[in-house]
Amino acid sequence: MEGSVLVIGGGIAGIQTSLDLTELGFKVYLVEKTPSIGGRMAQLDKTFPTNDCSLCILAPKMVEVGRNPNIELMTYHEVLEIAGEAGNFTVKILKKPRYVDESKCKGCGDCASKCPKIEVPRLFDMNLGKRKSIYIPFPQAVPPVYVIDPELCLKITKGVCGVCQKVCKADAIDYEQKPIEFEIKVGAIVVATGFDMYGEELSKRWGYQYENVVNALEYERILCASGPYEGHVLRPSDKEEPRNIAFIQCAGSRDRQEDVPYCSSVCCMYTAKEAIITKEHSENSECYVFRHDLRAYGKNFYEYTQRAQDEYGVTYFQTKISKIIEDSKTNDLVIHYENLQTGKIETFKANLVVLASPLVPKKDSKELAKILGIELDKYGFFKEQSYYNKSKASKKGIFLSGFAQGPMDIPETVAGSSGVASEIATLLSSEKFSNTEEKIIETPEKEVKPSDEPRIGVLICHCGINIGKYVDVPKVVEKINKLPNVTHCEDNMYSCSSDSQERIKEMIKEYNLNRFIVASCTPRTHEPLFQETCEEAGLNKYLFEMVNIRDQCSWVHMKEKEAATQKAEDLIRMAVSKARLLKPQNEENLKIEPSALVIGGGISGMTAALNIANQGFEVHLVEKEEELGGILNNLYELFPNEDKASDFLVENIEKVENHKKIKTYLHSKIKDIKGYIGNYNISLSTLDNDKLELKVGTIIVATGAQELKPEGNFLYSDENPKIMTQLELEQKLTKDGDKWLKDIKRITTILCVNSRQKEGITYCSNICCSVALKNIRILKEMKPNLEMIVLYRDLQMAKKEFEDFYRERRQDAMFIRYSLNNLPSIEKKNNNYHINVINTNLQQELEFDTDLIILTTPLIPEDNMDELAKMLKVPLDGTGFFLEAHVKLRPLDFATDGIFLCGCAQWPKNIQDSISQANGAAGRASRFLSAGEITTSGLISEVNEALCIGCGKCEEVCPYQAVELREIEKTFEDITISIKKSYVNSALCKGCGTCGATCPVGAISVKHYDFDQIGVMIDSYLLEKTQAE
Amino acid sequence: MSKSKSKEIIKEFEPELLVFCCNWCSYAGADLAGVSRFQYPPNIRIIRVMCSGRVDPSFVLKALKDGADGVLISGCHIGDCHYISGNEYTRDRFDRLHSIIIQQLGIDPKRVRLEWVSASEGKRFAEVITEFTNEIKELGPLKLQ
Ligand code: FES
Repeated sequence: MEGSVLVIGGGIAGIQTSLDLTELGFKVYLVEKTPSIGGRMAQLDKTFPTNDCSLCILAPKMVEVGRNPNIELMTYHEVLEIAGEAGNFTVKILKKPRYVDESKCKGCGDCASKCPKIEVPRLFDMNLGKRKSIYIPFPQAVPPVYVIDPELCLKITKGVCGVCQKVCKADAIDYEQKPIEFEIKVGAIVVATGFDMYGEELSKRWGYQYENVVNALEYERILCASGPYEGHVLRPSDKEEPRNIAFIQCAGSRDRQEDVPYCSSVCCMYTAKEAIITKEHSENSECYVFRHDLRAYGKNFYEYTQRAQDEYGVTYFQTKISKIIEDSKTNDLVIHYENLQTGKIETFKANLVVLASPLVPKKDSKELAKILGIELDKYGFFKEQSYYNKSKASKKGIFLSGFAQGPMDIPETVAGSSGVASEIATLLSSEKFSNTEEKIIETPEKEVKPSDEPRIGVLICHCGINIGKYVDVPKVVEKINKLPNVTHCEDNMYSCSSDSQERIKEMIKEYNLNRFIVASCTPRTHEPLFQETCEEAGLNKYLFEMVNIRDQCSWVHMKEKEAATQKAEDLIRMAVSKARLLKPQNEENLKIEPSALVIGGGISGMTAALNIANQGFEVHLVEKEEELGGILNNLYELFPNEDKASDFLVENIEKVENHKKIKTYLHSKIKDIKGYIGNYNISLSTLDNDKLELKVGTIIVATGAQELKPEGNFLYSDENPKIMTQLELEQKLTKDGDKWLKDIKRITTILCVNSRQKEGITYCSNICCSVALKNIRILKEMKPNLEMIVLYRDLQMAKKEFEDFYRERRQDAMFIRYSLNNLPSIEKKNNNYHINVINTNLQQELEFDTDLIILTTPLIPEDNMDELAKMLKVPLDGTGFFLEAHVKLRPLDFATDGIFLCGCAQWPKNIQDSISQANGAAGRASRFLSAGEITTSGLISEVNEALCIGCGKCEEVCPYQAVELREIEKTFEDITISIKKSYVNSALCKGCGTCGATCPVGAISVKHYDFDQIGVMIDSYLLEKTQAE
Repeated sequence: MSKSKSKEIIKEFEPELLVFCCNWCSYAGADLAGVSRFQYPPNIRIIRVMCSGRVDPSFVLKALKDGADGVLISGCHIGDCHYISGNEYTRDRFDRLHSIIIQQLGIDPKRVRLEWVSASEGKRFAEVITEFTNEIKELGPLKLQ
C-alpha cells in the first residue's frame, strides 16, 4: 500500500483535503488544471453570512499549501490515466508547458508589463478584466509563477518579439518547454474538481446574451475591490453606475427545460450577500430580488436574508420569470414575469441584471470519470457510493470532496473535505507517515545569550529591477553598514533564489552573525523561507527579521526615488533596532494522549467514534440515555431512500459495540473536564461508577438536538391527539403501523411551525421540509387514497436529489403557500378540525376540514448544553447551538484547539451531513492523535508574575482560553496567602498579543512584538533619522 | 529629544506618519496595493503586528511624543479578525485613546486614526494613506505642549 494520495482540483475542497491529509501523515500530490490553486473561492468577493473577505481567509491556506513539504503542488497539470486499485494506484500525469521555469520565476511581473501583445479577457475575472499573453491568473496566485498563453504569444506563434525573455532578470522564460508525462504511485485518489456556472449555455429567455446581464460569478468580480472595476458597481456596456439592479433567482436551476432539474443550493444566500454588498458599495442603487422559494437553511442564513430586506432595503418579489429583453437604445433590460402574489403578468425595467444561474458539474467531468473508472449521477455530478456516505465514489479508493459531488456551500465542502481525509486515513492507516518527510535541520543551534553583543547581517534585495529601479539600493547599503551593530550589509539580485540561501548561510558563518535581516518583498510569503535558511546556518529562527521594501515601498512610490530610498533606509534601520533586541525562542513539543472522548452516541457520535477507532486510537463514547442512536431511535424510515431507520441503526450500533477500541458508557454524564489539548482529565458518572476518571487527548462534541414541542400553538396539546409533530408521527408509525389510518381521510401538514419567525425561533431548521415530504410519501404509500394537504412558506429542498423528490410529492399532495403575516387558523370540531388559510399565491381564502394535523417544528438544542459548554470552555451561539471557530473555514473546530464539533450539536442537519461532519471532526481530531505531539509556537505571550496584579483582564479578552488566572501560594515570613496570577498556556496561545495590549500594568510581554521591540522601532524611525543626518 | 522642523516647513511640510497593520488583513491589503502598483505618498512607515489587538495605546502615545505627526492603526474588518475578536478590543481601546488624546493632550483627533482594511482592498489602502497624509499636511506639524 502507498502512503500518498492524489488530490485532483486545487479549490477550497482540494486545499482542505490536502492540508488535513498531510497532518494525518500522508504525502499529497495536488493536481490542478489551471496555473494557480484557489478555485472558485478565490474569485468571490465576500462570503455569506458574515461578509468575510473571501481571499483574506483563503490566501493563508493557499500559502500553507504552497509551503507544505508534504504537498507536491502540480499546477497546470492534468491526470491522463490511472491503473491499479485502492491502496495501489498508478497515475499518469501531464505537465503542460508554462514556458516559464517555475524554479526560476520570482513572480515580479516585469515580463507582463513589457509584453506588447494586445490584452485579452482575463478568465479569473470571468472575462471582464484584461490580461497579457504572459500573465499570472491573479496577484495572490500560488505558486506565484507566470505562464505564457501559447496561442497568443508572438514568439511562440510567429517567432517574433521575445521581449519577456529579454527583460526577465531571472532568466526564467523558456519558449522551448514541451509537455511532459510522468507517473506517480498513490494509495487513494480524491476528486475535488468543483463546478462551473452557466452563462451562454442558458436559453435565450434569460437574456445572458445582452451585455448588461451577467451571471453571479461575474458579478462577484465586479464587486471585488481587486476585480476589473476595482470594486465599483458598474455595468459592462457603458461603465456607468446602475441604479436599478435586478437579481434573478433560479435562473435555470430547478428547471427541466434547462436540463438542470436540481436546486443549485447556494444562490438564495449569495444573492442576498451580493445585494447587501451592492448597497454598501453604492448607496444610490436599488436592489430587487426576483425569487421563487427562499432557501436559507444554514446557521444565521434566514436571518441574513431578512436583514437584507429590513436593514438594507433590498426588495424581494415572488415571481416566475418569463423572459428578459434588452432595450437596445439604453441597454437597459425589461424583465417580463408573473407576479405570484397577484397572478398578474408584469414588467420591470433594470439597468443591470444578475442571474443566479445554475451551478453545474465541471465541463470535463465525463472525461475524468472515464479516466478514473467511476460513475456520474443523473445530473452529471460524481456519484457517491451510497446516499449516507457522500464522500466515497463508486469505486473503492476514490473519494469525492466538495461541489464535484453535488451542490453545497463552503462550510459543507470544508467539513466534507476533512471527512474525506479521515476516511482515507482509515483506508491507509497502516501507511501513515511512511511517505512523508520531516525536515530535520542538522546544524546545531548556536547559543545566543542576551549579554552577547548583537552582530547583525543585512541582505538588501534588488528583486531584479523591482526594487533596484525605484530605490537607490547601494546608497541604502552604505547607510545601513554604518549603523551600530551591523556587522555586514550587502545587496543582491534575488534574495529568494537558492544560491542566495547559500550566501546567507555563508554570511552568517563568515561574520559570526547572531541576527539576520532580509529587506526584500513581503514576510507573508517569504519569511518562512529565510527563517529556514537561518536555522540551517544554526541561527534560531526568531533571530531573523524581515523588511518589506518592495510591495510596501518601491512598488508604491515608483516616481519618487529619493523618498522611496529614504523610506527603505528608515524601514531597515527600524528593523535593525528591533533586531538588537530579538531573543531566541523555544518551540516546545507537547505529548498528546492517544485517545479521544466522544460526547453523544447518536449517528454523529457513533460515526466519529468508529472513524477514530478504525485509525487505531482508543475512543470513549459517552451517551446520556440507556441506548445508543439518539434521535434515530424515534425515526421510522430514512429520507430519501426507503430504508428502515431501525435497520440502519442496528447496523451502526453493532459496529460500535463490536469494536475493540471503543468503550461505550451508557446512561452516563460528564461531570468535569480539566486540562487542554493533548491532556484532558475527564470525570464521568456512569451507571456503576459515579466517579470514573479518563485521560484523553481530544474531545468531540456530538450531543445532537431535539424536536421542539409546540405547546399551545396550533391547538397542540394532550387533549388533541390528532395534532402531532413529525417525530410523534414517526413513533406512531413505528409502533402502530398503518392500522390507525383507517378512518383518516385527509391529513394536513403544516410547515415552519414555530420557526422562521420574527421573534422566538427566527431560524430555519434545515431538515423539516424533507422530513415532512418523506412522511407524506410514507403515508401515501400506506393508504393511497389519503388526501394530503401541505401548508408551507418556502420549501427547503436544496440537495441535488431533493428537488426531484419534491416534484414527485406534488402528485401526492396539494401545496398551499401561506405567509408569516397570515398564519393558518385551526378550529376544533366534533371529530375533526377546521382549517382556515390564505393562499398567498392567489390571495384567496381557503377553508377545509381535516382529520389529522401534522406540525413540522424545528430542531432545538439539547437541554443543559450551557453546562457542558462551560466545562469545555467553548461558546454557544445565539440560538443555543455550539459555535464553531469560523463559520466558513473551520466549521468543525472550536476556537480552542483540541475540541471538535459535529452533527446537530452545531446546527440541525440530516443524516448525510451528520455523517460527513462526524467523519470530518474525527479527522480533525485524529490529526493530533496521529502526530502524537504538537509543537507550540515561539511567538506567544508571557506573564511577568512580579508585575501581574491578578485583575483577569487578559483572561477575559483571550479568545482561545489560553490565558487564565491561577491561584498560587505566596509565603511572607510565616504567613502563607494565596493570590491570583495570570498564566499563559503555550499549547493554546496563538500569539495575537491582545492580552499584552490589555494588561493595565504591562505585565504581559508578547514575544517578538514586545514593548521594547516595538518601542525602539518607533524611536528609530522618529528620533534616529535626524541623528543619522 | 525634540526635532526642529522649521526648515522643512518652509520647503513643504512632509509629515512623518506611523502605521500599525495587522498581519492578516491590513498588511496583506498594503501588499496588494503594491502588487497592483497603486501609488500613495511615501510618508508612512508600517510596523507589522500579528493582530491590531496588539496595538497598545502606549505605542501611539510614544510615537506622538517622539514627533510623529500622525498614527494610523489598521486591522481586519470587524468580524474578520484572524484571532476572532482582537479588533473588537482595538476598537474599544481606540475610543478611550481618542478621548485621552483630545482631552489630556489637546491633539487634533484626526491625527490618530483607525481604519479597517481587508486583504483584497489594495486600492482602499492606498486611498486611506493618501487621504490621511493630505489631512495631516493640512493640519501641519504636530507641536506638543
Ligand atoms: S488579525 Fe487583523 S485585526 Fe486581528
